[in-house]
Amino acid sequence: MQSTFVINLARIAIIIAVLALWEVLSRTGIVNPRLLPSASDTFVTLGDLLQRAAVQKDLMVTATEVLAAFALAVPFGAVIGFLVAENRYFADVAKPLLFFAFSIPKSIFLPMFILVFGVGFAQKVGFGFFSTIFIVIMSTTTAVESVKVEHLTVARSYGATPWQTAFRVYLPSMLPVLLEALRISMIFNLTGVILAEMYASRDGIGHQIATWGENFQMKQLLAGVVMVAAIAMTFNELVRWVETRCSHWRM
Amino acid sequence: MQPLANVTPLKPAARAGAIEVKNVGQVFKTRSQDVVALEDVSLEVKPGRFVVLVGPSGCGKSTLLMMMAGLRQQTSGTITISGAPIPQPDPDRVGVVFQEASLFPWLTAEDNVEFPLALRGVPRAERRAKAQDALKLVGLDGFGGRHPHELSGGMKQRVSIARGLVQDPPVLLMDEPFAALDEQTRMTMGDELLRIWAATGKTVVFVTHSLTEAVYLADEVIVMSARPGRIVDHLQVQLPRPRTYEMLSGDAFGALRDRIWRHIRKSA
Repeated sequence: MQSTFVINLARIAIIIAVLALWEVLSRTGIVNPRLLPSASDTFVTLGDLLQRAAVQKDLMVTATEVLAAFALAVPFGAVIGFLVAENRYFADVAKPLLFFAFSIPKSIFLPMFILVFGVGFAQKVGFGFFSTIFIVIMSTTTAVESVKVEHLTVARSYGATPWQTAFRVYLPSMLPVLLEALRISMIFNLTGVILAEMYASRDGIGHQIATWGENFQMKQLLAGVVMVAAIAMTFNELVRWVETRCSHWRM
Repeated sequence: MQPLANVTPLKPAARAGAIEVKNVGQVFKTRSQDVVALEDVSLEVKPGRFVVLVGPSGCGKSTLLMMMAGLRQQTSGTITISGAPIPQPDPDRVGVVFQEASLFPWLTAEDNVEFPLALRGVPRAERRAKAQDALKLVGLDGFGGRHPHELSGGMKQRVSIARGLVQDPPVLLMDEPFAALDEQTRMTMGDELLRIWAATGKTVVFVTHSLTEAVYLADEVIVMSARPGRIVDHLQVQLPRPRTYEMLSGDAFGALRDRIWRHIRKSA
Protein backbone atom coordinates (compact mmCIF):
# COMPACT_ATOMS: atom_id res chain seq x y z
CA MET A 1 0.00 0.00 0.00
CA GLN A 2 2.71 2.37 1.10
CA SER A 3 4.72 1.71 -2.02
CA THR A 4 1.84 2.26 -4.50
CA PHE A 5 1.13 5.55 -2.74
CA VAL A 6 4.77 6.60 -3.08
CA ILE A 7 4.84 5.53 -6.71
CA ASN A 8 1.73 7.58 -7.49
CA LEU A 9 3.26 10.55 -5.72
CA ALA A 10 6.41 10.22 -7.82
CA ARG A 11 4.31 10.09 -10.99
CA ILE A 12 2.40 13.23 -10.10
CA ALA A 13 5.68 14.93 -9.21
CA ILE A 14 7.09 14.11 -12.67
CA ILE A 15 4.00 15.51 -14.41
CA ILE A 16 4.18 18.70 -12.35
CA ALA A 17 7.92 19.00 -13.04
CA VAL A 18 7.40 18.70 -16.80
CA LEU A 19 4.63 21.33 -16.76
CA ALA A 20 6.76 23.61 -14.58
CA LEU A 21 9.76 23.23 -16.86
CA TRP A 22 7.55 24.03 -19.84
CA GLU A 23 6.21 27.14 -18.08
CA VAL A 24 9.68 28.34 -17.01
CA LEU A 25 11.35 27.76 -20.38
CA SER A 26 8.65 29.82 -22.08
CA ARG A 27 8.30 32.60 -19.48
CA THR A 28 12.05 33.25 -19.14
CA GLY A 29 12.50 33.30 -22.88
CA ILE A 30 15.06 30.47 -22.88
CA VAL A 31 12.84 29.06 -25.60
CA ASN A 32 11.17 31.63 -27.82
CA PRO A 33 7.58 31.92 -26.46
CA ARG A 34 6.32 32.35 -30.02
CA LEU A 35 7.56 28.81 -30.68
CA LEU A 36 6.61 27.44 -27.28
CA PRO A 37 3.74 29.29 -25.60
CA SER A 38 3.67 28.71 -21.86
CA ALA A 39 1.74 25.84 -20.31
CA SER A 40 -0.71 28.17 -18.60
CA ASP A 41 -1.45 30.03 -21.87
CA THR A 42 -1.91 26.71 -23.64
CA PHE A 43 -4.44 25.47 -21.10
CA VAL A 44 -6.36 28.75 -21.20
CA THR A 45 -6.49 28.44 -25.00
CA LEU A 46 -7.63 24.85 -24.64
CA GLY A 47 -10.53 26.03 -22.48
CA ASP A 48 -11.48 28.61 -25.11
CA LEU A 49 -11.26 26.16 -27.96
CA LEU A 50 -13.45 23.59 -26.28
CA GLN A 51 -16.23 26.14 -26.08
CA ARG A 52 -16.11 27.00 -29.76
CA ALA A 53 -18.82 25.38 -31.85
CA ALA A 54 -16.43 24.83 -34.76
CA VAL A 55 -13.98 22.86 -32.61
CA GLN A 56 -16.78 20.84 -31.02
CA LYS A 57 -18.00 19.98 -34.51
CA ASP A 58 -14.48 18.92 -35.54
CA LEU A 59 -14.21 16.70 -32.49
CA MET A 60 -17.56 15.10 -33.30
CA VAL A 61 -16.50 14.48 -36.90
CA THR A 62 -13.29 12.81 -35.76
CA ALA A 63 -15.06 10.79 -33.08
CA THR A 64 -17.60 9.52 -35.62
CA GLU A 65 -14.86 8.52 -38.05
CA VAL A 66 -12.80 6.83 -35.35
CA LEU A 67 -15.77 4.88 -34.02
CA ALA A 68 -16.92 3.88 -37.52
CA ALA A 69 -13.45 2.65 -38.45
CA PHE A 70 -13.16 0.84 -35.13
CA ALA A 71 -16.60 -0.74 -35.39
CA LEU A 72 -15.69 -2.09 -38.84
CA ALA A 73 -12.10 -3.15 -38.18
CA VAL A 74 -12.63 -5.00 -34.89
CA PRO A 75 -15.30 -7.53 -35.92
CA PHE A 76 -13.77 -8.03 -39.37
CA GLY A 77 -10.30 -8.48 -37.95
CA ALA A 78 -11.58 -10.71 -35.16
CA VAL A 79 -13.35 -13.06 -37.57
CA ILE A 80 -10.31 -13.31 -39.84
CA GLY A 81 -8.01 -13.76 -36.84
CA PHE A 82 -10.27 -16.50 -35.50
CA LEU A 83 -10.29 -18.34 -38.82
CA VAL A 84 -6.52 -18.06 -39.09
CA ALA A 85 -6.04 -19.43 -35.58
CA GLU A 86 -8.56 -22.26 -35.85
CA ASN A 87 -7.67 -23.52 -39.31
CA ARG A 88 -4.23 -25.07 -39.57
CA TYR A 89 -4.00 -24.80 -43.35
CA PHE A 90 -5.28 -21.24 -43.38
CA ALA A 91 -2.80 -20.33 -40.65
CA ASP A 92 0.16 -21.84 -42.52
CA VAL A 93 -0.74 -19.93 -45.65
CA ALA A 94 -1.80 -16.61 -44.20
CA LYS A 95 0.41 -16.00 -41.19
CA PRO A 96 3.65 -14.90 -42.87
CA LEU A 97 1.67 -12.81 -45.35
CA LEU A 98 -0.06 -11.01 -42.49
CA PHE A 99 3.30 -10.35 -40.88
CA PHE A 100 4.57 -8.86 -44.15
CA ALA A 101 1.51 -6.65 -44.42
CA PHE A 102 1.79 -5.61 -40.80
CA SER A 103 5.40 -4.51 -41.21
CA ILE A 104 4.61 -1.99 -43.97
CA PRO A 105 4.05 1.58 -42.73
CA LYS A 106 0.40 2.16 -43.54
CA SER A 107 0.91 5.90 -44.21
CA ILE A 108 2.40 5.26 -47.65
CA PHE A 109 -0.99 4.00 -48.82
CA LEU A 110 -2.78 7.21 -47.87
CA PRO A 111 -2.52 8.82 -51.35
CA MET A 112 -4.20 5.75 -52.82
CA PHE A 113 -7.08 6.04 -50.38
CA ILE A 114 -7.57 9.62 -51.48
CA LEU A 115 -7.56 8.58 -55.14
CA VAL A 116 -10.04 5.79 -54.54
CA PHE A 117 -12.42 7.40 -52.04
CA GLY A 118 -11.85 11.11 -52.70
CA VAL A 119 -11.45 13.50 -49.77
CA GLY A 120 -14.06 12.90 -47.08
CA PHE A 121 -15.63 10.53 -44.60
CA ALA A 122 -15.05 7.31 -46.56
CA GLN A 123 -11.37 8.03 -47.14
CA LYS A 124 -10.71 8.70 -43.47
CA VAL A 125 -12.73 5.75 -42.18
CA GLY A 126 -11.21 3.53 -44.85
CA PHE A 127 -7.71 4.50 -43.88
CA GLY A 128 -8.49 4.13 -40.16
CA PHE A 129 -9.86 0.66 -40.89
CA PHE A 130 -6.78 -0.24 -42.91
CA SER A 131 -4.45 1.02 -40.17
CA THR A 132 -6.22 -1.08 -37.55
CA ILE A 133 -7.24 -4.36 -39.08
CA PHE A 134 -3.84 -6.05 -39.17
CA ILE A 135 -3.19 -5.56 -35.48
CA VAL A 136 -6.72 -6.84 -34.73
CA ILE A 137 -6.13 -9.96 -36.81
CA MET A 138 -2.81 -10.68 -35.17
CA SER A 139 -4.06 -10.05 -31.64
CA THR A 140 -7.11 -12.23 -32.15
CA THR A 141 -4.88 -15.02 -33.39
CA THR A 142 -2.79 -14.69 -30.24
CA ALA A 143 -5.94 -14.62 -28.11
CA VAL A 144 -7.31 -17.83 -29.66
CA GLU A 145 -3.95 -19.52 -29.25
CA SER A 146 -3.95 -18.56 -25.58
CA VAL A 147 -6.89 -20.93 -25.02
CA LYS A 148 -5.50 -24.08 -23.41
CA VAL A 149 -6.20 -27.47 -24.95
CA GLU A 150 -6.56 -28.89 -21.42
CA HIS A 151 -9.44 -26.54 -20.71
CA LEU A 152 -11.20 -27.52 -23.93
CA THR A 153 -10.77 -31.19 -23.04
CA VAL A 154 -12.27 -30.59 -19.59
CA ALA A 155 -15.28 -28.87 -21.14
CA ARG A 156 -15.71 -31.71 -23.60
CA SER A 157 -15.42 -34.39 -20.92
CA TYR A 158 -18.28 -32.75 -19.01
CA GLY A 159 -20.44 -32.65 -22.11
CA ALA A 160 -20.23 -28.93 -23.02
CA THR A 161 -22.09 -27.92 -26.19
CA PRO A 162 -20.21 -25.77 -28.74
CA TRP A 163 -22.00 -22.67 -27.44
CA GLN A 164 -21.10 -23.48 -23.87
CA THR A 165 -17.51 -24.03 -24.90
CA ALA A 166 -17.48 -20.70 -26.68
CA PHE A 167 -18.94 -18.70 -23.80
CA ARG A 168 -17.53 -20.58 -20.83
CA VAL A 169 -14.05 -21.45 -22.10
CA TYR A 170 -13.03 -19.49 -25.20
CA LEU A 171 -14.40 -16.13 -24.13
CA PRO A 172 -13.05 -15.97 -20.56
CA SER A 173 -9.68 -17.39 -21.69
CA MET A 174 -9.39 -14.81 -24.45
CA LEU A 175 -10.85 -11.81 -22.67
CA PRO A 176 -7.65 -10.36 -21.16
CA VAL A 177 -5.78 -10.65 -24.45
CA LEU A 178 -8.76 -9.30 -26.38
CA LEU A 179 -9.11 -6.23 -24.19
CA GLU A 180 -5.43 -5.51 -24.55
CA ALA A 181 -5.85 -5.93 -28.30
CA LEU A 182 -8.78 -3.52 -28.29
CA ARG A 183 -6.69 -0.92 -26.50
CA ILE A 184 -3.74 -1.22 -28.86
CA SER A 185 -6.02 -1.30 -31.90
CA MET A 186 -7.55 1.99 -30.83
CA ILE A 187 -4.10 3.60 -30.79
CA PHE A 188 -3.52 2.47 -34.38
CA ASN A 189 -7.03 3.50 -35.35
CA LEU A 190 -6.75 7.00 -33.90
CA THR A 191 -3.37 7.47 -35.53
CA GLY A 192 -4.76 6.39 -38.88
CA VAL A 193 -7.82 8.64 -38.82
CA ILE A 194 -5.96 11.72 -37.60
CA LEU A 195 -3.20 11.22 -40.12
CA ALA A 196 -5.80 11.01 -42.87
CA GLU A 197 -7.38 14.21 -41.60
CA MET A 198 -4.08 16.05 -41.47
CA TYR A 199 -3.09 14.91 -44.93
CA ALA A 200 -6.24 15.80 -46.80
CA SER A 201 -9.54 16.72 -45.22
CA ARG A 202 -12.01 19.58 -44.87
CA ASP A 203 -12.92 18.91 -41.26
CA GLY A 204 -11.98 16.93 -38.17
CA ILE A 205 -9.65 17.75 -35.34
CA GLY A 206 -6.61 16.43 -37.25
CA HIS A 207 -7.38 18.86 -40.08
CA GLN A 208 -7.80 21.68 -37.55
CA ILE A 209 -4.45 20.91 -35.90
CA ALA A 210 -2.71 20.84 -39.28
CA THR A 211 -4.25 24.21 -40.17
CA TRP A 212 -3.16 25.79 -36.88
CA GLY A 213 0.34 24.53 -37.55
CA GLU A 214 0.44 25.95 -41.07
CA ASN A 215 -0.78 29.34 -39.79
CA PHE A 216 1.81 29.33 -37.03
CA GLN A 217 -0.91 29.50 -34.31
CA MET A 218 1.25 27.81 -31.71
CA LYS A 219 -1.13 28.22 -28.76
CA GLN A 220 -3.98 26.58 -30.62
CA LEU A 221 -1.67 23.93 -32.04
CA LEU A 222 -0.39 22.95 -28.60
CA ALA A 223 -3.88 23.08 -27.13
CA GLY A 224 -5.03 20.73 -29.92
CA VAL A 225 -2.19 18.34 -29.14
CA VAL A 226 -3.10 18.31 -25.45
CA MET A 227 -6.76 17.74 -26.37
CA VAL A 228 -6.15 14.71 -28.57
CA ALA A 229 -3.59 13.31 -26.13
CA ALA A 230 -6.07 13.58 -23.26
CA ILE A 231 -8.83 11.84 -25.24
CA ALA A 232 -6.52 9.01 -26.28
CA MET A 233 -5.21 8.52 -22.76
CA THR A 234 -8.69 8.49 -21.28
CA PHE A 235 -9.85 5.73 -23.62
CA ASN A 236 -6.68 3.78 -22.98
CA GLU A 237 -7.01 4.00 -19.22
CA LEU A 238 -10.68 3.07 -19.36
CA VAL A 239 -9.99 -0.17 -21.19
CA ARG A 240 -6.99 -0.85 -18.98
CA TRP A 241 -9.22 -0.53 -15.95
CA VAL A 242 -11.64 -3.11 -17.36
CA GLU A 243 -8.65 -5.23 -18.30
CA THR A 244 -7.27 -5.46 -14.78
CA ARG A 245 -10.72 -6.25 -13.43
CA CYS A 246 -11.14 -9.09 -15.92
CA SER A 247 -7.69 -10.58 -15.64
CA HIS A 248 -6.96 -10.64 -11.93
CA TRP A 249 -6.54 -14.42 -12.29
CA ARG A 250 -3.66 -14.08 -14.76
CA MET A 251 -0.80 -14.29 -12.35
CA MET B 1 -30.21 -28.75 -25.56
CA GLN B 2 -32.27 -30.53 -22.93
CA PRO B 3 -30.43 -30.33 -19.64
CA LEU B 4 -32.18 -33.31 -18.13
CA ALA B 5 -31.97 -35.60 -21.16
CA ASN B 6 -28.97 -37.54 -19.89
CA VAL B 7 -30.02 -37.90 -16.29
CA THR B 8 -32.07 -41.07 -16.68
CA PRO B 9 -29.75 -43.95 -15.80
CA LEU B 10 -29.22 -46.17 -18.81
CA LYS B 11 -27.61 -49.05 -16.95
CA PRO B 12 -28.73 -51.96 -14.87
CA ALA B 13 -27.86 -50.95 -11.31
CA ALA B 14 -25.88 -54.13 -10.65
CA ARG B 15 -23.29 -53.28 -13.29
CA ALA B 16 -22.91 -49.63 -12.34
CA GLY B 17 -19.22 -48.82 -12.24
CA ALA B 18 -18.06 -51.91 -14.17
CA ILE B 19 -15.63 -51.34 -17.02
CA GLU B 20 -15.05 -53.78 -19.86
CA VAL B 21 -12.41 -53.31 -22.53
CA LYS B 22 -12.46 -55.97 -25.26
CA ASN B 23 -9.83 -56.39 -28.00
CA VAL B 24 -9.33 -52.65 -28.29
CA GLY B 25 -6.94 -51.29 -30.89
CA GLN B 26 -5.99 -47.76 -31.83
CA VAL B 27 -4.16 -46.78 -35.00
CA PHE B 28 -3.03 -43.21 -35.69
CA LYS B 29 -2.72 -42.44 -39.36
CA THR B 30 0.06 -40.03 -40.20
CA ARG B 31 1.17 -38.98 -43.66
CA SER B 32 4.08 -41.40 -43.86
CA GLN B 33 2.82 -44.38 -41.85
CA ASP B 34 0.22 -45.85 -39.55
CA VAL B 35 1.25 -45.87 -35.90
CA VAL B 36 -0.24 -48.61 -33.76
CA ALA B 37 -0.86 -46.98 -30.38
CA LEU B 38 -2.82 -49.83 -28.83
CA GLU B 39 -3.06 -53.45 -29.93
CA ASP B 40 -5.58 -55.99 -28.73
CA VAL B 41 -6.07 -54.58 -25.25
CA SER B 42 -8.61 -56.39 -23.05
CA LEU B 43 -9.31 -55.87 -19.39
CA GLU B 44 -12.14 -55.94 -16.93
CA VAL B 45 -12.61 -53.74 -13.89
CA LYS B 46 -15.15 -54.75 -11.28
CA PRO B 47 -17.23 -52.05 -9.58
CA GLY B 48 -15.48 -50.31 -6.71
CA ARG B 49 -11.97 -51.50 -7.60
CA PHE B 50 -8.92 -49.24 -7.70
CA VAL B 51 -6.98 -50.07 -10.86
CA VAL B 52 -3.73 -48.42 -11.89
CA LEU B 53 -2.33 -48.32 -15.45
CA VAL B 54 1.46 -48.03 -15.63
CA GLY B 55 3.90 -48.21 -18.49
CA PRO B 56 6.61 -46.27 -20.29
CA SER B 57 5.83 -43.09 -22.21
CA GLY B 58 4.02 -43.84 -25.44
CA CYS B 59 2.47 -47.11 -24.22
CA GLY B 60 -0.98 -45.68 -24.79
CA LYS B 61 -2.16 -45.71 -21.17
CA SER B 62 -3.49 -42.16 -21.37
CA THR B 63 -5.03 -42.92 -24.76
CA LEU B 64 -6.82 -45.89 -23.23
CA LEU B 65 -8.08 -43.71 -20.39
CA MET B 66 -9.35 -41.07 -22.85
CA MET B 67 -11.25 -43.80 -24.69
CA MET B 68 -12.87 -44.94 -21.43
CA ALA B 69 -13.90 -41.30 -20.93
CA GLY B 70 -15.50 -41.17 -24.38
CA LEU B 71 -13.07 -38.42 -25.40
CA ARG B 72 -11.57 -40.54 -28.13
CA GLN B 73 -12.78 -43.49 -30.18
CA GLN B 74 -10.93 -46.75 -30.63
CA THR B 75 -10.16 -48.08 -34.11
CA SER B 76 -11.33 -51.55 -33.20
CA GLY B 77 -12.82 -53.46 -30.27
CA THR B 78 -15.40 -52.38 -27.70
CA ILE B 79 -15.43 -50.50 -24.42
CA THR B 80 -18.38 -50.51 -22.07
CA ILE B 81 -18.87 -48.49 -18.88
CA SER B 82 -21.66 -49.64 -16.56
CA GLY B 83 -22.74 -52.03 -19.28
CA ALA B 84 -23.09 -49.58 -22.18
CA PRO B 85 -20.66 -48.30 -24.83
CA ILE B 86 -19.33 -44.78 -24.45
CA PRO B 87 -19.27 -43.10 -27.87
CA GLN B 88 -19.03 -39.65 -26.29
CA PRO B 89 -18.33 -38.21 -22.83
CA ASP B 90 -21.10 -39.01 -20.35
CA PRO B 91 -20.62 -37.19 -17.04
CA ASP B 92 -23.34 -39.30 -15.43
CA ARG B 93 -21.24 -42.39 -15.80
CA VAL B 94 -17.69 -41.07 -15.79
CA GLY B 95 -15.87 -38.26 -13.97
CA VAL B 96 -12.42 -37.33 -15.25
CA VAL B 97 -9.56 -35.81 -13.25
CA PHE B 98 -6.77 -34.30 -15.33
CA GLN B 99 -3.34 -32.92 -14.61
CA GLU B 100 -2.78 -29.77 -12.63
CA ALA B 101 -3.39 -27.15 -15.33
CA SER B 102 -6.96 -28.25 -15.93
CA LEU B 103 -8.79 -25.92 -13.52
CA PHE B 104 -10.22 -22.76 -15.05
CA PRO B 105 -8.09 -19.97 -13.58
CA TRP B 106 -10.82 -17.35 -13.97
CA LEU B 107 -13.26 -19.28 -11.76
CA THR B 108 -13.12 -19.76 -7.99
CA ALA B 109 -12.63 -23.26 -6.59
CA GLU B 110 -16.37 -23.45 -5.98
CA ASP B 111 -17.28 -22.35 -9.48
CA ASN B 112 -14.79 -24.83 -10.92
CA VAL B 113 -16.49 -27.64 -9.01
CA GLU B 114 -19.90 -26.38 -10.11
CA PHE B 115 -18.85 -26.19 -13.76
CA PRO B 116 -20.16 -29.65 -14.78
CA LEU B 117 -23.49 -28.88 -13.08
CA ALA B 118 -23.71 -25.40 -14.62
CA LEU B 119 -23.36 -26.97 -18.07
CA ARG B 120 -26.56 -28.94 -17.49
CA GLY B 121 -28.52 -26.06 -16.05
CA VAL B 122 -28.74 -27.34 -12.47
CA PRO B 123 -30.31 -24.56 -10.34
CA ARG B 124 -27.88 -22.33 -8.52
CA ALA B 125 -28.76 -23.33 -4.94
CA GLU B 126 -28.56 -27.04 -5.69
CA ARG B 127 -25.27 -26.50 -7.51
CA ARG B 128 -23.78 -24.61 -4.59
CA ALA B 129 -24.89 -27.26 -2.10
CA LYS B 130 -23.41 -30.09 -4.14
CA ALA B 131 -20.15 -28.20 -4.67
CA GLN B 132 -19.91 -27.56 -0.93
CA ASP B 133 -20.37 -31.26 -0.22
CA ALA B 134 -17.72 -32.20 -2.77
CA LEU B 135 -15.26 -29.65 -1.41
CA LYS B 136 -15.87 -30.90 2.12
CA LEU B 137 -15.26 -34.46 0.97
CA VAL B 138 -11.84 -33.55 -0.45
CA GLY B 139 -10.91 -31.57 2.66
CA LEU B 140 -11.28 -28.07 1.23
CA ASP B 141 -14.12 -26.80 3.38
CA GLY B 142 -13.86 -23.01 3.50
CA PHE B 143 -11.58 -22.64 0.46
CA GLY B 144 -14.38 -22.41 -2.11
CA GLY B 145 -13.97 -18.68 -2.69
CA ARG B 146 -10.32 -18.86 -3.69
CA HIS B 147 -9.01 -18.78 -7.23
CA PRO B 148 -6.63 -21.51 -8.43
CA HIS B 149 -3.62 -19.19 -8.28
CA GLU B 150 -4.29 -18.77 -4.58
CA LEU B 151 -4.14 -22.54 -3.97
CA SER B 152 -1.18 -24.89 -3.68
CA GLY B 153 -0.60 -27.68 -6.21
CA GLY B 154 -2.11 -30.28 -3.88
CA MET B 155 -5.17 -28.15 -3.17
CA LYS B 156 -5.72 -27.57 -6.89
CA GLN B 157 -5.81 -31.32 -7.42
CA ARG B 158 -8.27 -31.69 -4.57
CA VAL B 159 -10.50 -29.20 -6.42
CA SER B 160 -10.09 -31.28 -9.59
CA ILE B 161 -11.13 -34.41 -7.72
CA ALA B 162 -14.14 -32.58 -6.26
CA ARG B 163 -15.10 -31.50 -9.79
CA GLY B 164 -14.83 -35.13 -10.94
CA LEU B 165 -17.05 -36.32 -8.10
CA VAL B 166 -19.65 -33.56 -8.01
CA GLN B 167 -22.12 -35.40 -10.27
CA ASP B 168 -21.56 -38.62 -8.34
CA PRO B 169 -20.61 -40.84 -11.30
CA PRO B 170 -19.80 -44.46 -10.45
CA VAL B 171 -16.45 -44.26 -12.28
CA LEU B 172 -13.56 -41.85 -11.72
CA LEU B 173 -10.81 -41.75 -14.36
CA MET B 174 -7.57 -40.06 -13.33
CA ASP B 175 -4.87 -39.10 -15.83
CA GLU B 176 -1.59 -38.65 -13.95
CA PRO B 177 -3.29 -36.32 -11.50
CA PHE B 178 -0.31 -35.98 -9.16
CA ALA B 179 2.48 -35.88 -11.75
CA ALA B 180 3.23 -32.18 -11.23
CA LEU B 181 3.34 -32.38 -7.43
CA ASP B 182 6.42 -32.64 -5.24
CA GLU B 183 7.16 -35.96 -3.54
CA GLN B 184 5.71 -35.13 -0.12
CA THR B 185 2.52 -33.62 -1.44
CA ARG B 186 2.19 -36.58 -3.75
CA MET B 187 2.32 -39.04 -0.85
CA THR B 188 -0.23 -37.03 1.12
CA MET B 189 -2.52 -36.79 -1.89
CA GLY B 190 -2.25 -40.55 -2.41
CA ASP B 191 -3.50 -41.11 1.15
CA GLU B 192 -6.23 -38.53 0.64
CA LEU B 193 -7.36 -40.16 -2.57
CA LEU B 194 -7.56 -43.55 -0.86
CA ARG B 195 -9.63 -42.00 1.92
CA ILE B 196 -12.01 -40.42 -0.61
CA TRP B 197 -12.20 -43.64 -2.57
CA ALA B 198 -13.04 -45.64 0.57
CA ALA B 199 -15.70 -43.09 1.49
CA THR B 200 -17.38 -43.05 -1.92
CA GLY B 201 -16.89 -46.58 -3.25
CA LYS B 202 -16.11 -45.39 -6.78
CA THR B 203 -14.43 -47.46 -9.44
CA VAL B 204 -11.11 -45.71 -10.03
CA VAL B 205 -8.80 -46.08 -13.02
CA PHE B 206 -5.59 -44.19 -12.37
CA VAL B 207 -2.76 -43.58 -14.83
CA THR B 208 0.74 -42.93 -13.52
CA HIS B 209 4.45 -43.09 -14.31
CA SER B 210 5.37 -43.84 -10.73
CA LEU B 211 5.76 -47.51 -9.81
CA THR B 212 5.66 -46.76 -6.09
CA GLU B 213 2.46 -44.78 -6.47
CA ALA B 214 0.98 -47.60 -8.56
CA VAL B 215 1.60 -50.32 -5.97
CA TYR B 216 0.72 -48.09 -3.03
CA LEU B 217 -2.70 -47.12 -4.37
CA ALA B 218 -3.90 -50.11 -6.35
CA ASP B 219 -6.00 -53.22 -5.93
CA GLU B 220 -4.74 -54.18 -9.36
CA VAL B 221 -1.89 -52.88 -11.48
CA ILE B 222 -2.02 -53.22 -15.25
CA VAL B 223 1.41 -52.96 -16.86
CA MET B 224 1.63 -51.85 -20.47
CA SER B 225 4.45 -51.90 -23.01
CA ALA B 226 5.15 -49.34 -25.71
CA ARG B 227 4.98 -49.51 -29.51
CA PRO B 228 2.57 -51.08 -29.87
CA GLY B 229 0.74 -50.50 -26.57
CA ARG B 230 -0.13 -53.89 -25.07
CA ILE B 231 -0.93 -55.27 -21.67
CA VAL B 232 2.08 -57.28 -20.52
CA ASP B 233 1.08 -58.00 -16.93
CA HIS B 234 -1.90 -57.74 -14.61
CA LEU B 235 -0.96 -57.83 -10.91
CA GLN B 236 -3.22 -58.24 -7.91
CA VAL B 237 -1.92 -56.17 -5.01
CA GLN B 238 -2.80 -58.16 -1.90
CA LEU B 239 -1.44 -55.65 0.62
CA PRO B 240 -3.95 -54.91 3.39
CA ARG B 241 -5.83 -51.64 3.63
CA PRO B 242 -5.51 -49.01 4.85
CA ARG B 243 -2.11 -48.74 3.22
CA THR B 244 0.61 -47.22 5.36
CA TYR B 245 3.94 -45.57 4.75
CA GLU B 246 5.73 -48.50 6.46
CA MET B 247 4.53 -50.89 3.73
CA LEU B 248 6.72 -49.08 1.22
CA SER B 249 9.84 -50.67 2.69
CA GLY B 250 8.31 -54.16 3.08
CA ASP B 251 9.32 -57.19 0.99
CA ALA B 252 5.88 -57.71 -0.54
CA PHE B 253 5.82 -54.14 -1.76
CA GLY B 254 9.35 -54.39 -3.15
CA ALA B 255 8.59 -57.63 -4.96
CA LEU B 256 5.59 -56.12 -6.75
CA ARG B 257 7.49 -52.99 -7.70
CA ASP B 258 10.43 -55.04 -9.02
CA ARG B 259 8.11 -57.19 -11.11
CA ILE B 260 6.63 -54.07 -12.76
CA TRP B 261 10.06 -52.54 -13.26
CA ARG B 262 11.35 -55.63 -15.09
CA HIS B 263 8.52 -55.37 -17.60
CA ILE B 264 9.07 -51.68 -18.14
CA ARG B 265 12.83 -51.96 -18.52
CA LYS B 266 12.34 -54.62 -21.17
CA SER B 267 10.01 -52.50 -23.25
CA ALA B 268 11.65 -49.08 -22.79
